[in-house]
Amino acid sequence: MDFQFLYSLIVGVFVGGVAGYLGSLMITKRMALVGDALGHVALPGVALALIYGFNVSWGALPALALGILLIWFFEIRTKLPMEALTGIVFTTSVAIAFLFLPEADVSTALIGDISRIGFWDTLSSVILSVIIFLILRKIFSGLILINLSEKLAAVEHIKIKKYNLIYLVCIAVVVALGIKITGSLLMGALVITPAAAARNFSRNLFQYSYGALLVGIISCVFGILISKIFGFSAGPLTILMATLIFLISLIFRK
Amino acid sequence: MAEPILKVKNLSVELDGEWVLEDLSFDLREKEILIVLGPNGAGKSVLLRTLLGLHPFKGEIKWGKNTHIAYVPEEFTVSKTLPLSVKEFFELKKAKSLEISRSLEWVGMKISPKFLKKRIGVLSSGQLRRTLIAWALVDKPDVILLDEPMVGIDIHGRRTIYDSLVNLWQNKNQTIILISHELGEVCKKADKILALNKRKLFYGKPKEVITSQNLAKIYGFSISL
Repeated sequence: MDFQFLYSLIVGVFVGGVAGYLGSLMITKRMALVGDALGHVALPGVALALIYGFNVSWGALPALALGILLIWFFEIRTKLPMEALTGIVFTTSVAIAFLFLPEADVSTALIGDISRIGFWDTLSSVILSVIIFLILRKIFSGLILINLSEKLAAVEHIKIKKYNLIYLVCIAVVVALGIKITGSLLMGALVITPAAAARNFSRNLFQYSYGALLVGIISCVFGILISKIFGFSAGPLTILMATLIFLISLIFRK
Repeated sequence: MAEPILKVKNLSVELDGEWVLEDLSFDLREKEILIVLGPNGAGKSVLLRTLLGLHPFKGEIKWGKNTHIAYVPEEFTVSKTLPLSVKEFFELKKAKSLEISRSLEWVGMKISPKFLKKRIGVLSSGQLRRTLIAWALVDKPDVILLDEPMVGIDIHGRRTIYDSLVNLWQNKNQTIILISHELGEVCKKADKILALNKRKLFYGKPKEVITSQNLAKIYGFSISL
């Protein structure tokens, strides 16, 4: 039995699922491209992890934390739209990463490599995915309400700043986990595409959020399976799988 | 007489360096209906939001202990593509099925399973506004603050919202603060009228304060009811 293959499948199920679920919130909050941008923000950390040989997710996390703190701080300071500030931070990150990213590691950094994942990395990915999923499920209603009307949310005693910060932290962790599978360049699709597909065939929030979770899982599992059979990289295949499901979902669009 | 549910004393609000409300004082008792009148830009919406704790202020706003407040904002739009059903919208407040149908009845809406499954983004503006009022009522607030519930609604929709409001204060004895341009029946029903244009113009029982002279203060010309 090929344990590494089994590990990569397990990681795919959990990370793909939580990424899809998170994506349903991100599309609703019109933050679909934030996942994409944060994938790039993580690059300097990913580069360091590849150079020193540790888990890219652990490298990505501090880079993301720093990036998000900067975006958050800039937002409070300037009140400029968040996507403008994110744009500044993510391009700077890419620029910094390419100062020291070894050429041999460029592909792994950009499109991921899940094929050599070990037991402890698998375990930590699973635990983190479950924790993030539970947190997101808890704040889901509140975030939807904030999205509908911040005033209504405030009247309902929802602490908007706190919710948004928790939500951002969740995004950061999911991006860090997802980078392992799809790399910096493709990470955005892992949150956007499953949720976009689910949105096409769902009538209500439940179908939408859990549909996105399901599409995320299916994309990762099939992406990794096909990669095993045909030897292509799993990251791009996962994303193409999600795109395929998205295209199929167009038929069911309500 | 019972303690007021809300006591406002010398309330002033400054937004972006400009005083938008100055030295307002009024109070509200249980089961009373207070209507706030005033020209556009008079600070009526700011007043509601300040009462809700959404703006910093000077002076005193004292709500009764554990007063549960609900709010119906003036603007509320939902994307047509957001897959959020009417039922789920209520569930954001953890409302149970029975409570949902009860509060929709309060605003005079017919409830069918099909309606509850509808996306809220596809409701007509009148339906959405009434649903929003029902949403505000679902967890039995002590007082409900409504900001121009009829603005931006077509004539048919206005009628239904108006009926909902009448239903509310006739059958439910709901304590209400309402911003409205509608004079006539709405004002006659109120216990108190507060007219303002940054400062208080007049305040008191409708019979006493709704005079053509007073209305001229608000609208700049004389109107009679």
